[in-house]
Amino acid sequence: MPRRRVFNPLTELLAAALLVVLVLVVNTWQFSLAVLVAAVVPGVLLSGKPRQIALAIAVTAGPLLLSSFLLHGLFFPEGTTVLAEWGPARVTAEGLQFAALTGLRLAVFTGVLLTAALTVSIPELVSTLTHRGWNRRLVFVVGSAVGLLPHVAERARRITRAQQARGLVVGGSVPSRVRGLLMVSVPLVTGLLIDAAERTQLLEARGFSSPGPRTSYLPDTDTAGQRTARWLLAAGVLGFACAWYAVGAGR
Amino acid sequence: MSSPLTLPATKAARPRTALVAVGAALIAATYLYLVLVQPAEIAEGIGGTSSLITLFGFLGGGALLVAGILPSLSTSSLVLMPLGIALNIAIGQTAGSLGLQIYLDAIGTVLVAVLAGPAAGAATGALSNAIWGLFNPLALPFAAGAALIGLLAGTAARYGMFRRVYLAPVAGLLVGAVGGLVAAPVAAFMFGAAGTVGTNALVAAFRAVGDSLLVAATKQGLTSDTIDKLVVFTLVALLAYALPRRSRAQFPFLRRYRVLAGRTGSATGR
Amino acid sequence: MIRLECSSFAYDGGPVVLSGVDLAVEPGALVHVVGPSGSGKTTLARLLAGQTGAGNGAQFRGALTLGTDRLGFTGGPGDPRIDPAAWSSTVAYAAQRTEGQLSMMSATVAEEIAFGPANRGMPAGELRAAVQATAARLGLTDLLNRDPRRLSGGQLRRTIIAAAVVGNPRVLILDEPFQGLDADARAEVARTLEVLRAAGTALVICAPMLPGAAPGRSRVLALVSGRPVFDGTLGQARTAGLERYAIGTEGSAPDVLRDPRGWAAAAPASGFSVKAGGPLAELAGVSFSYRGEGTRGQAEVLRGVDLRVDPGDIVGLTGANGSGKSTLLQHLNGLLRASSGTVAVAGRPLGRRTATGRLAGAVGFLFQDTDQQLFERTVLREVAYGPAAAGAGREAAQGRARTALAAVGLGHAAGEHPYELGFVERRLVAFASLIASGPAVWVLDEPTAGLDLRGRNRVGELILGHAAAGGAVVLATHDGAFAGALCTRILELKDGRILSGGARRGAGGA
Repeated sequence: MPRRRVFNPLTELLAAALLVVLVLVVNTWQFSLAVLVAAVVPGVLLSGKPRQIALAIAVTAGPLLLSSFLLHGLFFPEGTTVLAEWGPARVTAEGLQFAALTGLRLAVFTGVLLTAALTVSIPELVSTLTHRGWNRRLVFVVGSAVGLLPHVAERARRITRAQQARGLVVGGSVPSRVRGLLMVSVPLVTGLLIDAAERTQLLEARGFSSPGPRTSYLPDTDTAGQRTARWLLAAGVLGFACAWYAVGAGR
Repeated sequence: MSSPLTLPATKAARPRTALVAVGAALIAATYLYLVLVQPAEIAEGIGGTSSLITLFGFLGGGALLVAGILPSLSTSSLVLMPLGIALNIAIGQTAGSLGLQIYLDAIGTVLVAVLAGPAAGAATGALSNAIWGLFNPLALPFAAGAALIGLLAGTAARYGMFRRVYLAPVAGLLVGAVGGLVAAPVAAFMFGAAGTVGTNALVAAFRAVGDSLLVAATKQGLTSDTIDKLVVFTLVALLAYALPRRSRAQFPFLRRYRVLAGRTGSATGR
Repeated sequence: MIRLECSSFAYDGGPVVLSGVDLAVEPGALVHVVGPSGSGKTTLARLLAGQTGAGNGAQFRGALTLGTDRLGFTGGPGDPRIDPAAWSSTVAYAAQRTEGQLSMMSATVAEEIAFGPANRGMPAGELRAAVQATAARLGLTDLLNRDPRRLSGGQLRRTIIAAAVVGNPRVLILDEPFQGLDADARAEVARTLEVLRAAGTALVICAPMLPGAAPGRSRVLALVSGRPVFDGTLGQARTAGLERYAIGTEGSAPDVLRDPRGWAAAAPASGFSVKAGGPLAELAGVSFSYRGEGTRGQAEVLRGVDLRVDPGDIVGLTGANGSGKSTLLQHLNGLLRASSGTVAVAGRPLGRRTATGRLAGAVGFLFQDTDQQLFERTVLREVAYGPAAAGAGREAAQGRARTALAAVGLGHAAGEHPYELGFVERRLVAFASLIASGPAVWVLDEPTAGLDLRGRNRVGELILGHAAAGGAVVLATHDGAFAGALCTRILELKDGRILSGGARRGAGGA
């Protein structure tokens, strides 16, 4: 169930990015935690696909958090308050504190950006960029890359099956794995490049190099109000950051 | 001879040098700042300031590079870029989920760089991490490093490092060393050097002998990145030589600099 | 309207691939360009589309005339460079490979159709009207909100055609628009083309064979080895004896030699051994449903299928798209595992853990899309992969590869790059790979799709030869004439069940 969209993708992505900037500027664990509880958690719950997003966040940030605690919890030579010691590994209070601070920031960073990115409709984003007159080449690269991703994955899957049918056995020794990788990637890349050659001709024939602005088939979901709000938000965060540093709280 | 059906004589679009220069300078300045000024701070916990500078310096620099390069690319290079990006993400995601010590997330970038040149490679690298950031925000701050990999790979290809299959791993080793140096401060100041289980074991080993976080991250980067790029460059060389002649023929960069040995040589002259 | 005079065209200083062509297309005309694989059809289509290959190392000598503009080419650097955007507003082109014809930045069919006009900056209101009008005209209105990457073959072709003609060009060039399509999808595409022709768009259709049904007054240009060998009306072409150039007619029966001694020597090439007695493969009560694909529940694709394949059998599976043909085939080599029921190959039941790769020596599988499996740098190494993977030594594997290549008639191409061959040859290379591994059971998915007359006959003879030597063949096909001429049994699938048992017939359909 896709949730009802409130804002334009551009507005949502910008808001997420600014939130990350704020967290970095304030740089206290209390603020990071507050953002996590007050913004990320409700954002995920209201996203319409909380399970998928929670899983994505866990998969992306989870291993990093875990390894961060193991790394800094056990090996932090700068630490002085030693809580436990096994051979070269020393658990220090400073190390744990460092791991907590970094980990919290990591969690906010991935949580905010992933929630925004995974709820954004890419076609709508591409169409908004077109309506706002962004460079058509940039819009093509972004749109086409995202569009190619499932295609590439599906093609790799089909090639793997075709190669299995003629004797490829997945796994085994390192040389056989390398050979397997080549058996899949050579037809994959060759096929994609042949398609790319035809796509080049297609783009030229469809007037991609025309001067002037491109238009979009999809309606513009952006509004003047949101455009103003984006500028105001950005200016607000910039102002806040300047003030924060001027007061010296950023030390 | 001016028919509405024909194009005027070519005037190759030039990259916007000013934008490229500012972008490169921004990236270099950020790197120098991080390496020279910050190491003292790390003992008291990572400053938000250095994270901010990392993010803005590297992302902003990458954005300027892309803005400078994109208008100058031919349509065939442009069409290649999404393909390289999709390959990067598809393979990088797989390698990451397998917990390997190497990333394999630059195969597409290096492939584009070899086929279409350093500029296309740099733009692919930067955009690749920006787009990957939509699925995995942790890739975002490494955009500048990825651009550098694309730039260096294309340069290596231009000067004949792909003309012999055994030279490609050597080029990979060198490019990987540079890439590791550049990526280390990002890993250290943004993420406290935490990475996959494989890379973490390395950082832990260096930390255990008393290295500072940046030094440990740099040493880890030098180790993992060199091996990673060695593998990536070798794979790309094998892929490039497996391509049929007709797909190679569509890339003027391959012809002009005789990037690959053998049949694509500029037999037809100019 | 448009005229192509091509005195010679060559890639990269290579051999001349097209010469001596003078083709003028009048407004509203219908031109069929026919010829076997490698005859220069694609080159001709691209030239008409304004792709003269300048910058890719191609040399084109001749002239292109569009309306009153005549552009002369000498193959030198001073040649005019055609503006593809201006050219395509009059002459549109739909190329052979469908996937390269999608921009990949459109999430819906509507956006894909709108791609061209949007690039030219058509205002939003006009854009919607143009897309909807084109879709209505070509019967695509129901598809407008679908993802173009998830369409069936026929729907994808029609989408590409719609995207090409949304700007109302006067001429449309199509390179093998029916390739890989079944009968229903072919009819869909043919109807679309008929709509365009009725509206006055001139059509140039490149295909390996003469069309089965088309106005007898339409024009035919036949190419062989890059030279025209016939130019006249379709009515004349049917009686001009083009079979001697390996140009047949769609839907006719394959012309296989009835004498077993003439059948290509497939059996010695594959060198399989059959144990006496017992079926080569057997499916008993097999049911299957795809799991975890979307939310459409778990519809059963196969429901209790029994199939016994004995030595000498040639089993043809027919049925509409989605009837379960491909799914059934993939059970024979373990690519899919039955939800219930059993599958046995060479007398041994397939376990859950039997790797598909290990079965390659017992069951050979020919996929519909050949290009998914070619990965070596030469045809010989490609074909030798199967036997080498099965443990044959390098010499032995190459020996078997050579024999298999000779059997499919590609002995001369052993040193070529597989991707530099034409479509038909690539398909035959895949067939040779299958033969070289020496399986007793051949499983073929649409073995004749896109083949020319010679390729089709060759495949027919190989199948007959294999069955005569004691092997077995199971093939899924929409080519009724082909199945009718070869199969010992024809089974019709519907909704995952075998409808007609298919009485046993003599080999060769006699």
